[in-house]
Formats: sequence, C-alpha cells, structure tokens
Amino acid sequence: MTDHKLILDAGPFKVGVRTVDSAFAKTLDFFYRDALSSDAMQVLDYDISIAPPRNLRRWIRPQMLFGIDGAVPFEPHPVENAFPMFEWGLNWCIATSAHRYLMLHAGTVAFGDRAMILPGTPGSGKSTLSAALHLRGARLLSDEFGLVRPEKGDLLPMPRGIPLKNTSIEAILEFDPAAALGPTYPKTRKGRVRHLRPDAQSLLAQHEPAVPRWLVFPKYQAGSGEILQPLDKAEAFRQLAFNCFNYQLMGETSFRAAVQIVRSADCYTFTFSRLDRAVEQLSALADPGGEGGR
Amino acid sequence: MNLLNRFLNDPVIARDWGVGEWNRFLPLARNARLLGRSLALFEQHDLLDVVPQRLVDQLRGALAQTRYVQVQALRELRQVARVLDREGIPLMALKGVAYLVADLPPRGWRNLSDIDLMVREGDISRAELALQRKGWQPSGEFDAYDQHYYRAWMHEVPPLKHVNRDTEVDLHHNLAPPVSRIRIDAARLWDEATTASDPYGLTVKVPGPADMLLHNAVHLYMNDELRGGLRDVMDFRDLFEHFLQQDAGFEDQLLKRAEALGCGRPLYYAVSTAQRLAGLRPSVDFVRAVQRHAPFAPIAHFMAWLIEQALAPSRLGLRRSAVAHQLLFIRSHWVRMPLPMLLRHLWRKALKSKAPTSSIQETPG
Repeated sequence: MTDHKLILDAGPFKVGVRTVDSAFAKTLDFFYRDALSSDAMQVLDYDISIAPPRNLRRWIRPQMLFGIDGAVPFEPHPVENAFPMFEWGLNWCIATSAHRYLMLHAGTVAFGDRAMILPGTPGSGKSTLSAALHLRGARLLSDEFGLVRPEKGDLLPMPRGIPLKNTSIEAILEFDPAAALGPTYPKTRKGRVRHLRPDAQSLLAQHEPAVPRWLVFPKYQAGSGEILQPLDKAEAFRQLAFNCFNYQLMGETSFRAAVQIVRSADCYTFTFSRLDRAVEQLSALADPGGEGGR
Repeated sequence: MNLLNRFLNDPVIARDWGVGEWNRFLPLARNARLLGRSLALFEQHDLLDVVPQRLVDQLRGALAQTRYVQVQALRELRQVARVLDREGIPLMALKGVAYLVADLPPRGWRNLSDIDLMVREGDISRAELALQRKGWQPSGEFDAYDQHYYRAWMHEVPPLKHVNRDTEVDLHHNLAPPVSRIRIDAARLWDEATTASDPYGLTVKVPGPADMLLHNAVHLYMNDELRGGLRDVMDFRDLFEHFLQQDAGFEDQLLKRAEALGCGRPLYYAVSTAQRLAGLRPSVDFVRAVQRHAPFAPIAHFMAWLIEQALAPSRLGLRRSAVAHQLLFIRSHWVRMPLPMLLRHLWRKALKSKAPTSSIQETPG
C-alpha cells in the first residue's frame, strides 16, 4: 500500500489528506488536479486521514474511517464510498468550525466577479441549478457554501465536486452529455450520488472573491414554467438568514453581513423545472443584452 | 510534554515556530478545546503577528462559537434561576457557568457544553420536579438502574434539558458523590458562597474563590472524561493567578480550605498537573505544603505519567493515550465508590454495553 500525502486547496482552506487508499487518491486527483499539491510546507486548516479501521474489517467488507485531530467523529463507511465520505466529512469540519465566515447554505456562481447566490434547503434544486449554470460557463464558487467575509461583504469561492443526487444525475447528463462526472456511488446516505467536477478555471480562480449581485431563491417544481419574480428585500433578508449555517452563532456580525448582501443584490424567487430554460433566464440577468431572457 | 503544553508554559516559544509546529499546534489546541484560550495568550504576549493568518481565522472562528455558547449558557442559567427562585430554592452556579456569571478571567475564552448547578440536598427533588413542570426533561434515556445510580450513589440527578433548547443542565447537591472517598460537607460550601449577578438581573450564588479551585481539583481527580481535561487544568491556572492577584494570601487560604474540606489529595494533583502541563507557577512554600498531600512516591509518579499520556500526548490518536484514558477511567470509579459497589456497577455496564451508536446526524447539505 502506498501512503499518499496530499494538500488540497479548498477555497480559503488548506486541507491535508493522508490515505493509503489509492483508488480514493485517484478520485481526488480526478476532481481536484489543479488544486492539489504535495508540498508539505504549508500551514493546514484541517488534517484529515482516510484510513481503514484496525480490525478484521480491513479484509471483510472493507471500510474506511474519516479521521481528524486523532479522532474519528463518524461511523465507518464502505471503502468504495471513501470520496463521498471525505467530501461530507470535510464539509462537516468547515460547517462546525469556520465561524470566521458567515456560511450561507447556498449554491454560488459568478459571472466575472459578480456573484449569484442561490440559497435553498435540500430539494430546492440549488445544487442542480448551480451545476447547470457552471456547465454553461458561470464560475463555480460552491454548490453548498457561500462563504462571506463579514468585514468586506464579499464571497470567497470554494469550488468542489457537486454531489448530484438520484434523478439530478440524469437531468444534468441530459442537459450536457459531456458533463465531467465522477464515479457513481449507488448507495450513500443520500441515495445514489455522482459528482460533477468543477472546471479548471474555477479551481484556478478560487482565490478571487466575488461580490454579491443577485440573490435568487430557487424552487424546483416538476412541470412548472420558469418564473422569476422580484422579492421584497425584507422577505429576502428573512429567507437568507434562515438559510445560513451559523447565522445565530455570529450574532450582530451576521445580521450586518446579511443586510449588506440584501441591499447590494437584486432579489428574486425563481420557480423552475426545465434546466435549459432556467439557466437561460438566470444567465440573462448577468448579460441583459444577450440572447437569453424574456 | 507536547507542543501545546510547552506553549502554555511559555507562549513566546511560538516566535520560533515554523510550518511543522503550527501544523502540530492546531489539532492539539482544537482537541483540548483551547483555541480561544490560545488566541488570548497570543494577544496577551503580543504574538499575534507571528501566527499564520489562517490560524488566526480558525482561532477567531472558535472564539465566535464560544461567545455564542456562553450567551446560551447564561440564558439557560437565568431560566433555571427564575423557576427555582419562585420555589424559594437557593441556587449555586458551578464551573464554567459560574466563571461566566462571576465575570472571572475564563469568561474571555471558556467554551462549555453544559451548565453545572447546585442546590441543597434537601431541595434537589423539589428543584428537579419544579424544572420538569416547566419543560425540562431528562436529556437522554435513563433506565431504572441509571436512575438508581444517579439518585442513590451520585451527587446529581440525571441531566436535564429544556424541550425548546439545547443546553444541558446538570443539577448537583454536592461537588463529589456521597459514596466517594472525598466527602465534602456541602453546607460548608454554602457558608462561603458569594453572590454574583449579571446585567439582566440574574442573581445566583457561586462558590467562594478557594472552593471554586477545589471543585476544579476534585473534578480532575474524579473525572472519567479526561478528554479535553487540559482546558480544566488551564482554568485552574487562570483562576489561581486571578485570585492570587486579588489577594496575596490566597495560597494560604486555598491550602487551609483544602485541608478543612478533606481535599488535600485532589489539590496536590491539580497543582502538580497545572505546574507541569499548564504553566502554573505558585510560590515555593505553597508547593512544598501541597506536596505533603502527595501519595506514596511511586504512585505519584505513575499518576503523573498517566495524566500526561492522557492530557499531553505527543501526538493525537496514540494507542498509549487511549490506554491511559482507560486506566484513569477505572481509577476515577475506584475513588468514586467503594469496591463492592464498583464491581456491581461495572458488571451492569458490561452487560449493557453494546456497539457504539454515536453517530453525528447533523449534515450540511
């Protein structure tokens, strides 16, 4: 077994990844080639190990453990699910500790340095919509985390593999048959999952912040037309605050940051079902003179 | 001693740290729940400019979380105090939440996961009932045996949690189990208690200065959850230095009080541990006097070694520190209850123990 020691640039975070699982290391390379290095001389935020348990499970239906700070905070996962476990575990580490940022539970993409924030609970379609916007050329900031620097009010990118769940996988393949998808994980806690790889440009630009310009609350509704409606700022504020990982925790700081976002962004609700139409309509916000839109 | 302990002993060593040291420091400090405390030490020693920015961000993130938890803890304390006040039951805040309400130095950085409270033994059933009527429920599943364990042998009732909130409330009637080797007359704690109040009109009792430190010491001596116990050792040092600054005679008072309450041995362990692992520097006379309460030398050395393996492992996740934790766990029960009771208890626990079921359900996304 080879010992892999890698360092992943995950937006503002440096993540050490140690593993003996070469298949996992290969998957990591598939998704993050442009953000991985093996230069050990970097200060790390999280030092993660993906390792087999020290018992019989090494051989019988092998498992992998997610380790951080010498502790194993989660149940083991089957070895074939090492990558989704890593992604989920890293997100957990960030969500529970990075309170230096206001963390929006939102897909975020950018057109140049102008960001579109798509907050939403699971099932709202924010991941699928972020994936589709990204496939049509928007820079991927994140499908799940809007990292806001409260003192500046801007968003820091953290482009990662976008976990597409169940029927979203086919929806994205239909939308773009050339989409760079990773392996299929048939059985995870969220069902069948396949990740979309962020493009190289998004990874290379991951240290360039973007300014909130549009705040769109998406809602996937089967069979519906695409309806983009301006949203009252007070209501937008309420919904944005509701869709944060750490709004309460940050107190006044998060209140001010959320107010600033709502003030500087155009706010909408967006009901959609057809991805191509949806992407056209949202892209038109960034490029009103372009082909798309009304 | 590991890098974190060396830092606590002498923070300026961080000036010479490179990438390797910083990468060892962060996991150790996070594991010991000392991120906020470390940030304060960097600030107090004017070292912030040598700390890599991403670490400063991590430390500030942790401090933001701590501030939030502190607000929740004080709010919970106010809610409990209101209910007990109506019942005419005097209430004493202990440990972390006492430091908060009394505005003692740990307030600047101290994280807490529950609030520890004390009422008089004669009041505890009434207090529990009053809280249950107002929405506090047992915070887990406690079967008949667990109930018996708490009520007959321990110094607390099963932990409570309000249905609408997340902060656990541990309601005690003493600092140590009545069946343990340390028998403290709780009435004497009430005699020395002082009154603390916050700006929102909350008024509760907190233990007197010496008693606060002795409680910390007893906790270290008996605690079966030493993981993260280094934070408590740091509390001991911070409070010790604070009270000594307020009153030059504090060392004497502490020693006398420990002897009067029969806590000489716990005080010895707390002082020697804080000296070795957390940079406590008491006077030579005090150390010599405390030394009189040390156990037989080989035992003292073995205990020092065990505590160091558990609280200051050279690396995290070492098999050796897991073994040390296990031995300290067994020992903590040894000092908590007489042998026949201990055997019965461990037998029960062994029969009941199943595969671990802890699994974090919270999921982003």
